[in-house]
Amino acid sequence: MNCPECDGKLNIPDDAAVGEIISCPDCGSDYEISKKDGSNIELKLAEKVGEDWGE
Amino acid sequence: MITIKIGGSIVDNLHPTTIADIKKVSQQGVILVHGGAKQVTQISEALGKKQKFIVSPSGIKSRFTDQETVEIFTMVMSGKINKTIVRMLQKNGINAVGLSGIDGQILQADRKKKLIVVNEKGRKMAIDGGYTGKIREVNASLIKSILDQGYTPVISPVAISEEYDFLNVDGDRAAAYVAGKVKADRILFLTNVDGLLMDNKLVKNLSLSEAKEMLPKIGHGMEKKVLAATESLEMGVNEALIANGQKENPISSALSHDNCTVITK
Repeated sequence: MNCPECDGKLNIPDDAAVGEIISCPDCGSDYEISKKDGSNIELKLAEKVGEDWGE
Repeated sequence: MITIKIGGSIVDNLHPTTIADIKKVSQQGVILVHGGAKQVTQISEALGKKQKFIVSPSGIKSRFTDQETVEIFTMVMSGKINKTIVRMLQKNGINAVGLSGIDGQILQADRKKKLIVVNEKGRKMAIDGGYTGKIREVNASLIKSILDQGYTPVISPVAISEEYDFLNVDGDRAAAYVAGKVKADRILFLTNVDGLLMDNKLVKNLSLSEAKEMLPKIGHGMEKKVLAATESLEMGVNEALIANGQKENPISSALSHDNCTVITK
């Protein structure tokens, strides 16, 4: 599967699960696996979240 | 006016002179913001609610705050810890008023919809954000009116979301936002070390830009205090201090820049 942003090749492990974040090795864009049905995978741009997680 | 953040780990271990020291500066207006993460964990587990901790991609371990946890968090922070501090101040002649960030919407925050964690396979993963948040607004006029009437507000780091959820917010950053929004002159983070230590050496003075540059090199825990310090300075606070709360007269000692970290614009 290729990066929607730069068309670079995304390395998605076979056992990747919904919710996992895939980073493009070429442009660094982060994608979240939104759906997985066998080898059919849908990605969406991952939300940028800071690290302020409370006490 | 000064905002003082008491770290959770020192609430039980403050130097006996601390309260009398707070009294000395209380005339110029003191706002206390506290933490208490360790006590939340202890009481949660005593109640049979095992705390789940998650790890961020940069290695920061944090509590996962689900619905039950945020309720316990609110009980412990705004109940036991907040009232223990208020009682301690009252006993020493400081007319303190304990408040949570929920009361009068003192701390308004945006709930984090997602968190990025490292899963058991060592890979990054997005999970439901639970009940944590980032502060968006502070009801500064309420805090000021409490101060104007001669009371010392003591604020717990529980914020309210747009959907009126309780949110677990970081105490250091809550203190920074409070200080910034009420236009405090100074913010003081009392902790269990002398200040920012780099290569085991105390960093005594930093400018705002030096502090921001240094952030990625600072260890977890202290990094959040330095970040909060920079945020408060950017919001107009004149001076941020990080000092040891376990030594004699920790407040006046920090205000005179004795063996602590001072960050200024």
